[in-house]
Amino acid sequence: MGPLFRPRHNTLAQVSLFVVAAGAAGVPLGLMLYARTPLARGMQDPIEQPIQFDHRHHVRDDNIDCRYCHNTVDRSPAASVPQTQLCMNCHSQIWNKSPMLEQVRESFFQNKPIKWNRVYQLPEFVYFNHSIHVNKGVGCVSCHGRVDEMPAVEKATPLTMSWCLECHRRPDANIRPVEEVTNMDWKPPGDPLEFGTKQAAENNVHTRTSCTTCHR
Amino acid sequence: MSCDDNHEARAKDRENRRSLRVVDAGTPAGPRASSSSPTYWTSAEDRARTGPVPGAANEFAGGTFDVGADTSGVSRRGFIQVASLSTAMAAVGAACQKPPHKIVPFVRRPEEVVPGNPLHFATAFGLDGYASGLLVESHEGRPTKIEGNPAHPQTLGATTAIEQSLALSVYDDDRAKQLRTGERPLAWRTFLEEVSVRASHLAQSRGAGLRFLTAPTTSPLQGDLRKRIVERFPGAKFVSYTSVPDDGAVEGAKLAFGKPLVPRYKLAPANIILSLDADFLGEGSEQTRLSREFAARREPSRQMSRLYAVEPAMTITGAMADHRARVRGSDVGAFLAAVISVLGSRGIAGLAPLASLAHGQKHWDPKFLVAVANDLERNRGTSLVIAGRRQPAAVHALAAALNAALGNLGSTVEYGAPLTADPTAGAAALGALVEEIAAGGVDTLVITASNPVYGAPVDFKLAKLLERVPNSIYYGLYEDETAAACKTVVPAAHPLESWSDLRATDGTVSIVQPLIAPLWGGIQEVDLLAAFVNEGDVGAHALLKKFWAGQGKAPGDFDGNWERWLADGIVPGTAVPAESGLAVDGAALAQAVTPMLATAGGKQGMEVAFAADPKTYDGRFANNVWLQELPHPITKLTWENAAMVSETTAKSLDLEDGDVVEISLRDRRVQAPIMRVPGHADDSVTLPLGYGRTGGEKVATDVGFNAGALRVSDGFWFDAGVTLAKTERSVKFSITQDHWKMSPDGRETPPPVIAGTLAEALDPKSKFHEELQDRRPDPENPMPFIHKPVDYSGQQYKWAMAIDLSKCTGCSACVVACQSENNITTVGKENVRKGREMQWIRIDRYYKGSFEDPEVVIQPLACVHCETAPCEYVCPVNATVHSDEGINEMVYNRCIGTRYCSNNCPYKVRRFNFLNYIEDYTAAREMGMNPDVTVRTRGIMEKCTYCIQRIERKRIATRIEGRAILDGELETACQQGCPTKAIVFGSLNDAQSKVSQAHADPRRYDLLHEIGTRPRTIYLARVTNPNPDLGQAEKAGEHE
Repeated sequence: MGPLFRPRHNTLAQVSLFVVAAGAAGVPLGLMLYARTPLARGMQDPIEQPIQFDHRHHVRDDNIDCRYCHNTVDRSPAASVPQTQLCMNCHSQIWNKSPMLEQVRESFFQNKPIKWNRVYQLPEFVYFNHSIHVNKGVGCVSCHGRVDEMPAVEKATPLTMSWCLECHRRPDANIRPVEEVTNMDWKPPGDPLEFGTKQAAENNVHTRTSCTTCHR
Repeated sequence: MSCDDNHEARAKDRENRRSLRVVDAGTPAGPRASSSSPTYWTSAEDRARTGPVPGAANEFAGGTFDVGADTSGVSRRGFIQVASLSTAMAAVGAACQKPPHKIVPFVRRPEEVVPGNPLHFATAFGLDGYASGLLVESHEGRPTKIEGNPAHPQTLGATTAIEQSLALSVYDDDRAKQLRTGERPLAWRTFLEEVSVRASHLAQSRGAGLRFLTAPTTSPLQGDLRKRIVERFPGAKFVSYTSVPDDGAVEGAKLAFGKPLVPRYKLAPANIILSLDADFLGEGSEQTRLSREFAARREPSRQMSRLYAVEPAMTITGAMADHRARVRGSDVGAFLAAVISVLGSRGIAGLAPLASLAHGQKHWDPKFLVAVANDLERNRGTSLVIAGRRQPAAVHALAAALNAALGNLGSTVEYGAPLTADPTAGAAALGALVEEIAAGGVDTLVITASNPVYGAPVDFKLAKLLERVPNSIYYGLYEDETAAACKTVVPAAHPLESWSDLRATDGTVSIVQPLIAPLWGGIQEVDLLAAFVNEGDVGAHALLKKFWAGQGKAPGDFDGNWERWLADGIVPGTAVPAESGLAVDGAALAQAVTPMLATAGGKQGMEVAFAADPKTYDGRFANNVWLQELPHPITKLTWENAAMVSETTAKSLDLEDGDVVEISLRDRRVQAPIMRVPGHADDSVTLPLGYGRTGGEKVATDVGFNAGALRVSDGFWFDAGVTLAKTERSVKFSITQDHWKMSPDGRETPPPVIAGTLAEALDPKSKFHEELQDRRPDPENPMPFIHKPVDYSGQQYKWAMAIDLSKCTGCSACVVACQSENNITTVGKENVRKGREMQWIRIDRYYKGSFEDPEVVIQPLACVHCETAPCEYVCPVNATVHSDEGINEMVYNRCIGTRYCSNNCPYKVRRFNFLNYIEDYTAAREMGMNPDVTVRTRGIMEKCTYCIQRIERKRIATRIEGRAILDGELETACQQGCPTKAIVFGSLNDAQSKVSQAHADPRRYDLLHEIGTRPRTIYLARVTNPNPDLGQAEKAGEHE
């Protein structure tokens, strides 16, 4: 009977060693890369809602300002998902027999809240405040993307701490005149950075990066 | 020694200390270790030590780091098995979709609600009938935090610890939830029908067998309902009862002035205050206002007031006193008689007939007596004698007569008619009802008083008697002892769930409005009373509004007025003016009180004194974990009560702390652990009420012993002839007293606190100021430290705090306020014993001098936010770092729980979640959490953040408005709750701010300044105003 291992097995051993070594380095690396993909961050994943609400229609076709529905965005940490009554402001008059809106009417007349699915979720130790961002000229689109082009809203930005800090360290590129905050199509005139720097000074923007700015 | 020499010596001393730290960093004990006892001490053991505080050994209380911190009984191997399984499950789970998180908006959002922003509602709470005006913070309909209503005449924007704790008790899952008769559940409608049927039967006998046993109340609406009930049932009677009544004051006024009256004190004009067993800073419905007024006169100046306290056991008022005499409770009257006799012999008008009262009584230290008398005499019209609520009517009457003779009526004390529905609420009134029940004359008894079966004198045997009442209806918050003894139990709505109205001591009406609908179907008291006039289904809100609409209190549109009353928290123009033209008939009074005084005092042998507990009160707050775990303001005991005696008494009975004794009084026995308390009167044992509960409440049951088991109707507060017999048992208290010792590395340190007298404070060259000078930063000569100091002057704000120890009474409202604001958990008795308590503020209480007559200095301590913080450079994960404004931040999401920071913190103010304490929070409890603060789980370090959530909210609000935060606009929770305004917070970069001024105060000292931490929280030294006629060494007290 010949030897158990033959010279050709050397290659196999070398390959196995390489695979083990590569795996040891590659798995963490792979996980780190994965964590940076839109998939891991839940981005580009349209969230289905109990009612097929289409922002394209309301924002683009009807030209309704974001703040008509999300009406505490400039005075509260929370932007607010609208109360049913607000939907009924219009839908008691128009499309008031549409089967699509059956749930809205049911909610209104039976006093049962609609349970929407959250799209943007921050960890519980993060305290984000909409009002200060909106009042200092950070456009809705900067974080929420082109909501006016989304049939179902999806997360447009990663919401990681480094992403937040990027802007908190140098906000200029994301600052616009306060009255243009909800404008989805707004483009800075001229050089974006130069305009932003000027605008940030005008809006008295003063970003902070201390931990307790967000973590309390 | 010349001045220069002196300066040089100090500089050298400082140099020594510096070199000692830097060069001899490893030396375990410094050269300054002295062989004498420490100046300031915290307990008997601490006082007995001869060297420095033993370092590492005492830094944490025994057991803090016990192996097996996890008490759930899971072994390490078991844990790993479970952990690996759950990791595997998580990996599988991760591959699937995350469960969607829901957003549930309003269907119709109330106009004033902005989701994410809290609202504040004015309401009121009456501990024993009289109102404390409150402002309650509400997040989307959930009350989360109690503040005082600044517009209310009694709270002035501050609160007590008990009022703070309402934010927890409203969510108490132990509360009574089911209306029932026996075991049979009832609907409110069914109950109303039954009451209606019973009422028509009762009406036939004109209500002869109908009795109501209520808590004392000042509610005008309830007064009106009572009137209507008595109109319908002329034979019905109402009796008020509380186990902590103020009867003495009312009956004393009747003796003195001929009619029942309630005193209203005013400390603003009072130069001299003589407290006779009166804890006016710590109890009573005026305590918050009195604390404010008292503290305002404690800033060292020629206008500083002087407080003499005569009391059996140390209270926070006694701890604030400039002179304190420990006197048995029943001898206090004799002391007052002696003072009157001294003043009477000097020919003060009105006192002559009373001057002979002291004959045949005890002899007192003449020097102390004369000093008190002199001060009172010199300050006629600006002095005040206050008798405590435990004192009998005779003492109150004499105090009233003395105040009248000194011309204090109308200046420091006024009298007004009692505003409670019944003028008295003590054992006498209850005794009459008990006799009726015993005679079988009571058919229907409605009890709305707070747990009278537990709180009534034991000789009434109320539980047994209730069996004789065919229809007993108990209206209570809990299924407690009284609920067990009654046939029908009506679950009460919490004060934060009810509509009502209440009056403050000056008569001002506050409308009580609910913050939340009753969580467990609680019934409002108004509705229960209204059921007897067939209006039980009208609703408390409608009844209240209808009543006030008919009062014609304000001109104009009622609905508009109503809204304004609710918003402001007070109804304007409802104050009741004080009585005028009061006069004392000295001779008649002398005749009346002589037999009373003779029977009251001078008894030989051991005396027992019952006391309302500062935490559980009379047991009604015993189910509140915040209060149970709050260290007692003086003894620092948590989670139980103890029989308190003096050192001398303990020695004579051969007792040590924790020894369980059998206390016998009139054939009744109770076993209780002994605690020696500095400053306690000899031959007296103080038994705090409110523990040893046996009702159904989870927290309250089996905590402490029931002192009430010894309390009889004719020995309601003090009783003689008690014996203490030592048993074999002994217990270990959960006392926070000696936890968290500040001792940087076991070396002798300067005293932890500095205190001086007014004379020293006014003399800039005194040793007091010299000592202070040494304990604060010298810009020329900064203390070295491992960190390079950062310059914060360029920042918009430089947050800092100052605590004035001349004002701080140690009442502990701040501790509970902080706990409520910052979602701080409780850990339970066992864990407190191990030194794992979580309150961010600990109130250190230091004694100085002899064990029997110590001086007290209180020093609240939370994270001092060192600019060069020792905790920061030992954290391996940067979880504690500095903000741009110099706040020492604690970043929970980075913390991995090494606890290095806590080890390296010289102030020992960091708290660690050893266990997952939040695990067993009920769903209701979670509703009460502050949504602005992260809830911490096991393994996380936490500590004072300067209420960073309040800073950031205010910062954002003001930045949107385009302005800076104004000084005083932003308050931390402790500062806002503080009755004395001892705490100031603000920015040092604003030279005009209150905190900047405090930092520049000549009384400033920095705690542990010598180790170079540059604390942002500084202290203003305690200054007392002793009578120069009484030497420092001489102690006030009795002289046999």
